[in-house]
Amino acid sequence: MIATATSTVAAGIARGDRERDVVVHVDALVKRFAVRRGWKAMLRHPRAKEYATALSGVSFEVARGEFFGLLGENGAGKTTLFKVLASLVTPDAGTVTVHGFDVVRDSERVRRLLAPVIADERSLNWRLSARENLRLFAALHDLRGAARDQRVCELLELTGIADTGDKMVGQFSSGMKQRLLIARALLSRPSVLLLDEPTRSLDPLGARRFREFLREEIVARQGCTVLIATHKAEEALELCNRVAILDRGVVRAVGTPEELSRRIVGERYRLWTLDPSHPALVALEARGVIHVMERGERDEDGWTPLQLEIPGGPRVASEVLAHMASAGVTVSSFERGRLPLAELIERIVESRGQESARA
Amino acid sequence: MHKWLAMVRASWLVGTSYRIAMLTSLGSLVVTVIPVYFIAHALQPLMAKTIQSQGGEYFGFVLIGIVTFMFLGLAVNSLPGVIRGSVSSGTLEAYLTTPTRLSTVLAGAVSYDFLWSFARALILIATGAALGAHIAWGKSLAAVGILGLIVLAYLPFGIFGAALMLWFRTTGPLPKAVIGLSGFLGGVYYPTHVIPSWLHSVSAALPLTYGLRALRRVLLEGAPLASVAMDLGILTSFVVVLCALSVLTFTLALRDARRTGSLAQY
Repeated sequence: MIATATSTVAAGIARGDRERDVVVHVDALVKRFAVRRGWKAMLRHPRAKEYATALSGVSFEVARGEFFGLLGENGAGKTTLFKVLASLVTPDAGTVTVHGFDVVRDSERVRRLLAPVIADERSLNWRLSARENLRLFAALHDLRGAARDQRVCELLELTGIADTGDKMVGQFSSGMKQRLLIARALLSRPSVLLLDEPTRSLDPLGARRFREFLREEIVARQGCTVLIATHKAEEALELCNRVAILDRGVVRAVGTPEELSRRIVGERYRLWTLDPSHPALVALEARGVIHVMERGERDEDGWTPLQLEIPGGPRVASEVLAHMASAGVTVSSFERGRLPLAELIERIVESRGQESARA
Repeated sequence: MHKWLAMVRASWLVGTSYRIAMLTSLGSLVVTVIPVYFIAHALQPLMAKTIQSQGGEYFGFVLIGIVTFMFLGLAVNSLPGVIRGSVSSGTLEAYLTTPTRLSTVLAGAVSYDFLWSFARALILIATGAALGAHIAWGKSLAAVGILGLIVLAYLPFGIFGAALMLWFRTTGPLPKAVIGLSGFLGGVYYPTHVIPSWLHSVSAALPLTYGLRALRRVLLEGAPLASVAMDLGILTSFVVVLCALSVLTFTLALRDARRTGSLAQY
């Protein structure tokens, strides 16, 4: 099986992935779904159809070994995109390739390389033990005999459920079921793993442990390329090298959280001053050079922290600092901060929304 | 083959995890066969003449009818049931993410039910034989073949039902219509020539009519296969035509489900 997957990858690369490191390539992907109409509309216009656009011209690439986040609110199109990648939903237009294989034309090969972790616990067989669930899916992935049993044991160990491997899945906690779902997805040693809101049914502690497991085991040790869809910004921030922000089926931005922050809203800085209402600061804000995002509590020594946003990059920030010093603003600390990802997403979605409204 | 076996094994493990249901399933056979024995004996004088060409003994006649009808119901209902259950639980989506053909998945998912029913059918017939039904055991293999053809002739209705399930999330009246018509007009409890003449054309359009007639002649009378070649030929024609149409319909439904993304939406 490993040999099959490896040769499949090699063949895919040979087929023309110019960028050797690009594992997932999505280009101008469009998917529309028919909207369910009411009885009245159906009787009036029986042949008419209404469509809702789930994905509109989505394009991005994911490199080998990358942890790539798809961020967006509910209904942004994340799950549809994953289903297209997993060849469960056929796209209306555009191309999607995994290791150079088209998800529509070469769906069987894609299924050997890419594994979605279906987050729904009900997709497990609750009347079977974890081991038997894995044995079944191992067989469906063409593993058999000793190799199958060895892989099942390895994965039970890897996901930390070896002790309960012979227990019926119906008796598992949500966290254990999530681990079993991951183990199931890893059976075929996929090179790409899709995770759709994997921590949604976990408590905060369980979710943190699960994220550690993903980072240390799945990406660092197993070397998987991971695409994770989530609406939890902190999850993406903790795990992802890069994120794509999806809004109503459109990719609004792709990059590292830092890049996006710089590109979209400039830099954030934290300033400690004795004169938060100094005329020089007021003037800078009035001219739009700085934006005071948050004014903290004055401490016992009289210093007040200010969260500043200074669009224009480091050069503008250093000019602002020099101006404050020359104007006599007492500053004890001026350091770069980072816009929280959740706020960043909100900004991106809002700004694009305003742009499209103007257009 | 190993994928199919893995599916059957998983179903067996699930089946045996419901121990009471399993025991009840076997116990119900006794509840079925004993009343049938007494009723059949009571009706024997009335029925003897009409079933002369199919063994002449009403207990054996009706026993074969019941066993075949059990398989017919399974053939019509099992696939839509598997689709409904696996779509709503999300297991179908999980299966489809593996490099396994849907036909293998579905065959594996329904096979256990057929194998279990086969075991039940053997117990039912053996009990019937112990109670006095004359069974030509030497023709068992031929009988299994004919039963297989009957199942293959009715499985397409299950495939049509599965396609309807993918499209509309319901099979509509199809299974009930097929099972009802076949039960009343296919010769399960009485030979088809005793039904009113204006219903003969409906009876003639049912695969069960030919399958049951052939099965009874072989298993109850010990007739050679050559003597039921005509019935088997017609039954095979049903199999070929219905299988082709149903597979085509299901392929279209699956393509639609992939396009509309409804594989996991119940």
